[in-house]
Order: sequence, then structure tokens, then C-alpha cells
Amino acid sequence: MSEFNFNIEEANTLWKRWTLNAKKYPDREAIIHWLADGEHHRWTFSTLLESAKKFSVHIKSAGIKPGDVCAIVMRHNPNFYPLYMGISRTAALPACLAYPNPRLHPDKFRQGIEGMSQRSGLDYILTERELEPLIRPLIEKPGSTIKAMLFPLEWDTQSEVDPKVDDEIEKIANNVKDTEPFLLQHSSGTTGLQKPVVLSHRAVLNHVKHYGKAIGFSETDKIVSWLPLYHDMGLIGAYHLPLAYGIPSVQIDPFQWVLAPVIQLEAITQEKGTLLWLPNFAYNIYAEKVDEEELEGINLSSVRRVINASEPIRHDSHQKFADRFAKYGFDPLALTGMYGMAETTLACSQTEEGKPISEVAADRNELSNGKFKFAEGDAVVRVCVSSGKLIGECQMKIVDENRNEIEDGLVGEVATHSVSMFDGYRNYPEKTAEVFVDGWFYTGDYGFKYKDEFYIIGRKKDIIIVAGKNIYPEDIENVVNHTEGVVPGRVIAFGEDDETMGTEQVAVVVETKAVTEEEKKNVRMAILRAGMSIDINIHKVYLVPSRWLIKSSAGKPSRKANKERLINGSDPQVWSK
Amino acid sequence: MISAELKAVILKQLNLDDFNLQDDTIAPQVPGWDSLNHINIIVEVEHKFGVKFKSRELLQLKCVGDLQKLVDSKLGK
Repeated sequence: MSEFNFNIEEANTLWKRWTLNAKKYPDREAIIHWLADGEHHRWTFSTLLESAKKFSVHIKSAGIKPGDVCAIVMRHNPNFYPLYMGISRTAALPACLAYPNPRLHPDKFRQGIEGMSQRSGLDYILTERELEPLIRPLIEKPGSTIKAMLFPLEWDTQSEVDPKVDDEIEKIANNVKDTEPFLLQHSSGTTGLQKPVVLSHRAVLNHVKHYGKAIGFSETDKIVSWLPLYHDMGLIGAYHLPLAYGIPSVQIDPFQWVLAPVIQLEAITQEKGTLLWLPNFAYNIYAEKVDEEELEGINLSSVRRVINASEPIRHDSHQKFADRFAKYGFDPLALTGMYGMAETTLACSQTEEGKPISEVAADRNELSNGKFKFAEGDAVVRVCVSSGKLIGECQMKIVDENRNEIEDGLVGEVATHSVSMFDGYRNYPEKTAEVFVDGWFYTGDYGFKYKDEFYIIGRKKDIIIVAGKNIYPEDIENVVNHTEGVVPGRVIAFGEDDETMGTEQVAVVVETKAVTEEEKKNVRMAILRAGMSIDINIHKVYLVPSRWLIKSSAGKPSRKANKERLINGSDPQVWSK
Repeated sequence: MISAELKAVILKQLNLDDFNLQDDTIAPQVPGWDSLNHINIIVEVEHKFGVKFKSRELLQLKCVGDLQKLVDSKLGK
């Protein structure tokens, strides 16, 4: 295995890095665009760069200027990658957005884009023709920041480009400084709670250097991913890191993966994949939902590291996965975990390869009281799985409610400081000031430190994480509130553990005046449909009579208190399904 | 046309009392039928009908009618 080697000074922006890689490894495969039911498209570092240059000429000709934010809303397409790179070459900022699911109500989709546009100032939307009727009203709306909608898949990228324009763009690219913004990512949230995270070239390249070293990137590595590129783990981990380091990645359509998860295992087998990132629920899917017959010929012996991140790591999920795939050549010591967030580009900590992940059997009650203590006697045990040690040039500390650092073993909020830190939320100084103080980012996650490793055990914020996707309860409460049969303002949403699927599921508690079984069923259906309108699956509905919900000191129904009341009690007034 | 047996399996998995499942109904139109539940539905359909689907076959499914046809073809109907 070759040594990790990454010198930022050789090329201090992403475009310069991609150009360097195309010179160093012109014929090496960069991206294998995987199609489960068709022929894969195989980009080399040189063909990808040449195509990106052609896209950049179209981008400049369309009037896009340095600093403009270009949202890409596109399905799995081989031209996504050169388009993204071409945007960056013109010094504009690419931003990947999720392609709308048919269940998402058109108004909600537009509201989401509008929220982003007002906050982060989206300048252009680059999309497919099919979405024109959906997006056009947004552009025509008075006061819209969106200047135009473009259809890059219809551009001619085969013909030669005007060399003069090409030279002009190359000059623009060469004048970009490493501290300038490179990309914009939107944190989760459906209707305007998104936080636009801006990352500089320096932050991303520093991440390639330090996180790449932590996971031992080498020239023999090949990433295999189905993760969506609007998600930080897909965009940074599975796309930017290998592209900048100069190693190949296999990109699978996330929509195809959910229909047939085995295609990732087939890709690993055929391509001899070595590295993958997965959210916890995927381990359960592989362990329990893929038929044995489908696994014929699968060989996972090339995999040296599977990195679990994006939702809490569960001991059982790892165990099931390792047990099932041992006979397919999978090394259980390849199971690792990571902790990170979009604000630090991606990773803060990572467990080591080649040794079991550290786990501690904690006393659950002590943990609830803010202290880690090994479970003894008949204490209720909670197995906490380590998220590893700090990666290079990153610091983390555990703090109390006054943001003072607390000693190892005590539970508090995780704060982090990194050379890959974001430049603040775009156009959102008040939010930035709230969480970013003196170079430290206060994550809102709870955890403790033990023997130099970090254990993340919960969240200060009430975010629900379903299959690696962050969902804000406010989004759900907002739509359910307007549903017929629901007492306005008397709704809470929270995450319920689903051990079988290895993730959380969304539950809502709603006050209603419905009395009969029929009325309650109708209210439930209306609530499920309200969830569907924002593309959220409400897994369980609890209906309670008026004035049942406990209020917080602020006079609003308390998520925490009511969740505990439901879990701990068996109130006959509660109807659930 | 969607058989009563297939409809029953789907509705049970989605915890729905009733839903008008037509040949051209697509998953996003049905409450609860998201990607996580899709996998559970497929596993449950295989179990109830004693059939096995190939991943290539699953990728071709566009609507409930396609699932019905696939089940029928497996059962030699």
C-alpha cells in the first residue's frame, strides 16, 4: 500500500487540484458513474476535466459570475460531475439540492427553494427540463433572487469551445484564492430552517489532508457510494475527498439503491472497492433485508474500512453486519465510526482501522444524570459506541451549559475547532454568532470523552435522524398544526427508536376533539398526508384529548416531557396507531 | 387489478386500514410507503407469496400494478 501523500501547497484551490490530478493521472479512473440496469460511464481524471472546461464555457456564457450561487437539482446523471466542476472553474459556488420526491407537494418544494433563496441568495438553478413548470413560478415571482433557470443537460459539450473564452475562465480560476468560498451546502430542514454552510477551498483541501490521513487514503483505494450528493457525507466523503486526492469513486444512484441495496455489494465485488461510508440503518438493511440468493458471488474481502456516520452508531447493527458478511470475506475489523458535521467540512473524529471499535457499557441512569460510569450489578446498561479520536488539526471539548470545559467522563455539549471550519452560515450572522464563538463551533450534540475517545449519546436540539436524514420537528409540527381535526398549536413531533431498522422513526402527539374510532382514523390519515406533503413519513400517531400535552415554561407543548410521559405511562386516554 | 391478497400485505405493512390501491398507484401516493418501508414491503410480499425477487426485477417496478404482475409471473399465473 502506498503512503498517504497530500501537499496542499501544490494546488491551493479545488480547480487547481483537479487540473493537477488530470496531469498526474490522465488515464486513471476518477468517477465510475454506476447504472444498475445499464452501462456504467467511466470518467478518467483527464476526460472529466476536459468536459468540466466545456461546461464552464456555457456557464460563463449564461451570465454566471464569480460568487454566484448555482443550485444543481438533478437526478443521477454522468454529467453532474463535470457540471459541478465547471461551475467552480468560473468561481461561482455550486450547491447540490435534493431532487423533489413525487410525494413532496409542489408548493412545499417551492417554499423550500424560496427559503434557501432568501437566506443564501440562490442566483441560478441548473436543472432538468422536467422541473421547469415546478420552478418557473419562483423565478417570475417579484423580488426573487433567482436570476434564471438553466438546463445544462441540453448544452452541447461535444463541440470545441471558443479558446478565448476558455482562456478567460482559466484566468478567473487561477486568480481564486484558497480562502475564498468554494461550495455551499444546505443543512437539512424542509421549509426554511435550512442553514447555508459555506466552505472555502482551504477548508476542503485541509480536510482531504487531515481526514485523508486519518483514514489512510492510498492510491490503491476506491470508494463505493450510493449516498446522495446533497448530503455532506456523500458530497465531501464520497465525492470531493477521492476527486481531490486522485483516487476513483463509484457513484451509485441513491434511488436505485433503496430499491435494490445489493447493487452496492455488487459494485464493491466488481470494482474491488476498499472504502465506504454508510449511515447506521444501512447495516441493518444489509444484515436483514437482502436475500441470501442475491448474495451469490459477492466478495467483500477488498473492503478495508466501512465508516458509520450521520446517525448514532449502534452496536447491534455492526454485529449483525459482521456476522452475516464474514462468509463473504468481510473483515469485522473494517467496521469503523466517524463523528462530524457539515460545519467542519465533514469529520472531527474517527475510529482506528484494524482494531475493534471501543464500546463501553454505561449505567443508563448515571448517564441521564450527566455522568458516564460503568454499569455494575443490576444497573440498566446502555452500550455506548465510540466515534473515535480526533483527526489532525481538529480539537473537541465537552462543555457545560455555560460553555466551560468539563472533565472526562462528564456528559455535556460537544464543541469543536478545526482547520476545516466553515466560514459561517451565509447571510445568517445571528445564527452564526449563536453557535460559533472564538473559533469554536458548539454542535448541539451531547457526549462525553473517555480515554481520548469521544462518545456521542444525544442531542441538545430535538432533531430527529431518520436513515441519516436530519428532520426538524418544527417542520412536521407546522404542517400537522394545519390539519383538520387537530387542535391548533397542540402538536409535538419526536423521534422514536426503531431497533429493527437501526434508526429513528417520526412520531407525533396531537390533541384532538375526535371521539369515535372512525373520527380518530380520519384524523390520523389527514396527519399522515400532511407529513407526505413535506416528504416526511410519520410512522406513529398518538391522539390525545384537549389539554393533555404538558407545556414547557415558554407555554408551548414540551417535546421532552410529553415523550417521556408517553413512553413511561399507559394512559387510557392515549390512542395510537 | 390488484389482488386482495397483495393489497392486504401492503396495507398491513403500512399499518393502514384501507387505501384504494390501483394498478397505476405509485409508492409516493400511499401514506407511509417511503424507502425504508419499501424494503419491508418487498420482504413481506416475498414471504407471504413464497417467491423471490431479483434486484434487477425490483428496479423495474414503477407502480403497484408492476408489483402485481411480478408476483403473478413468479406464481406462474
